[in-house]
Amino acid sequence: MINFIDVITVLMMGTSLMVFGLRKYKLSIYAYALQTLLLVIVFLLLHFKYGAHELLLWAFTAFLMKVVFVPLFLLKLVNKLSIINEDEPVGGFFISPVIALSFSLAVSMMFYKVFVHFSIFKDALPLFAASFIFMIGIFGFILRNSFLKQILAYCLFENGIHLSLALMAYNSHELVEIGILTDAIFAVVIMSILAKRFYASYDSLDTSKAVNLRG
Amino acid sequence: MDILLLILIIPFVCGVVMFVMPLHFKLLQSFHILLSLIVSSLLLSAVSKVVHGAELSAFDNFIFLDSLGAIFLSLIAITGLLVNIYATTYMKWELEDGHVSLKEVKNYFALSFIFTWTMSLSVVCNNIAFMWAAIEATTLASVFLVSVKKDQKSTESGYKYIVLCSIGLAFALYATILLYSAANGKIDGDAMLYTNLIANAGNLDSMALKLVFIFALIGFGTKAGLAPTHTWLPDVHAEGPAPTSALLSGVLLKCAMLGLIRYYAIVANGVGFDFVQSVMIISGTLTLFISSFFLIRQHNVKRMFAYHSIAHMGVIAFGLGVGGAIGLFAALFHCAAHSFTKALAFCSTGNIAKIYGTKDMTKMGGMIHIAPLTAVLFGIAICSLVGVPGFAIFVSEFLIFKAAAINGSYLLMGIFAVALAIIFIADFSHFFLASFGKVEGKVVHNSEMKFSENIPLIALAILIVAFGIWQFDSFTVLLDESVKTIMKK
Repeated sequence: MINFIDVITVLMMGTSLMVFGLRKYKLSIYAYALQTLLLVIVFLLLHFKYGAHELLLWAFTAFLMKVVFVPLFLLKLVNKLSIINEDEPVGGFFISPVIALSFSLAVSMMFYKVFVHFSIFKDALPLFAASFIFMIGIFGFILRNSFLKQILAYCLFENGIHLSLALMAYNSHELVEIGILTDAIFAVVIMSILAKRFYASYDSLDTSKAVNLRG
Repeated sequence: MDILLLILIIPFVCGVVMFVMPLHFKLLQSFHILLSLIVSSLLLSAVSKVVHGAELSAFDNFIFLDSLGAIFLSLIAITGLLVNIYATTYMKWELEDGHVSLKEVKNYFALSFIFTWTMSLSVVCNNIAFMWAAIEATTLASVFLVSVKKDQKSTESGYKYIVLCSIGLAFALYATILLYSAANGKIDGDAMLYTNLIANAGNLDSMALKLVFIFALIGFGTKAGLAPTHTWLPDVHAEGPAPTSALLSGVLLKCAMLGLIRYYAIVANGVGFDFVQSVMIISGTLTLFISSFFLIRQHNVKRMFAYHSIAHMGVIAFGLGVGGAIGLFAALFHCAAHSFTKALAFCSTGNIAKIYGTKDMTKMGGMIHIAPLTAVLFGIAICSLVGVPGFAIFVSEFLIFKAAAINGSYLLMGIFAVALAIIFIADFSHFFLASFGKVEGKVVHNSEMKFSENIPLIALAILIVAFGIWQFDSFTVLLDESVKTIMKK
């Protein structure tokens, strides 16, 4: 029988590459919204599969905050700045996703085995996907120069963490989930304000231009 | 009402009050000082209860105050208060010079209360995931304290700060999740609570604990300024206003260090002290040598002190690495000693920048004639930073040597001595450059600051000397109790 949770988490891995690799900012944001919608569906499926009632509330809050609010906020930012495409990243548009993909696969191969050992839900593929999405987020910061892409990279590894949290620690106090989610939303809002300032100062979102302060 | 709830509600309320205040500088200044006094007295009254043996907890043990948390809460109260008072003077100068608007000053004052609130929250959380959330919130609350102006450099420093700290702390969250899942079902009670985790650390899987500690070190180490992920610190300190740097270096870095110390305690009691000590020695040595190398090359006074902060985080890590009751005592004492010293150091750079209109020490000189009190205060900060006997930092550095000698770790003593010698040479050469000789650049403000403006700096200097020559019983009680908690004896 097809395990729907596995299928959806693989789709989440695909969408994380889209968020990372797509040139058009708006498409990247749509990919992120889609990924978060898939995350919400995973929460719901885990809820039905294991009777984890906490995940029902998580699914609802994650939908409101991350599928609706964050993408709309970022789209508004893109519209305000009137920017369409990302500037050329480190190594070009083709090389950087290849590097991110290969390294993320390698690191996730290492970590998911440890996570499976301790996880509450022993679903191997979702645990693999969680570390993969987290690593793609980390590489987003390293390999992409655009401030907006880095905000999306933050959102990516935050999704990776949320997936891990649902699989490994769903039964922790509800306040924990709310605290972490609130932090993430504030972080995106503050980073967006800084991105606007950055654009006003540098006339670009290319963070490699910020070389006034060096070590 | 419970004192723990009050210390979490009042700073937040003070922040909101400051946000809605009218745009009138004198009023803002008076309220900032008054509300800071209220917040600090509340924090200190909670600390005094712990000193007298009380165990504070609320919300089903969700938040608590143990002796370890009380040490750091007292730093938030004392250093925070003195820096906040100095901030009113500093912001007055910035306003007079036209560098900031009155609205920006008001936002600055309001945000500093929100910042205090998040820091207080981070030290009283018993729930480790909520502690992580509070430490991440300290970053978010302080971004606009760093990036007050809207120019290129200020924006760049804010960008580096939030991005690097957020990435780093993500690893700490992974550590938290892994620790919870490894402990869930294997220990009595909620596996998210620090008190349960440390009480049952022996039941946890050693492989998981080792991985947890490495993740926690990367995460909290980034925020605390341990090498190699320290790079945000010099840039942020160079650009942020002097009181922000004082708060960040004096208090915030210690809150992140507290997070790491809590993980250190759990893992040490789970897998034994050898593992955590080895890891901390590597981290401390790396941090000490990287920072002392960069320290020598710095002529920007704030950048120099930023590298100092990194070096002293290395000293704390080294103390944790040398270990034993004395090593742990020294590391915790160093947190307090460095907090007062670095707050004085950064606040005195505010005076120095006002006098010379620059932060470049090669363009200074003759400070002892222009502003003798500032020069003496600057000198006290430098003397403490390099560990001159009679100043607070000497005590902890001496104790680290003692702990290493007791363990028979002569190699560690040698490494530590070399690093301190480099810092000593770098600091005094810089101090003489700025304070003595003839003036190299121009002097913008050719007189000492008013005495009233220097009062918080003098208070910090008195604290540095007092902690250097006197043993405060109540503080020693907290340190001893904390060491016992960490070593579980």
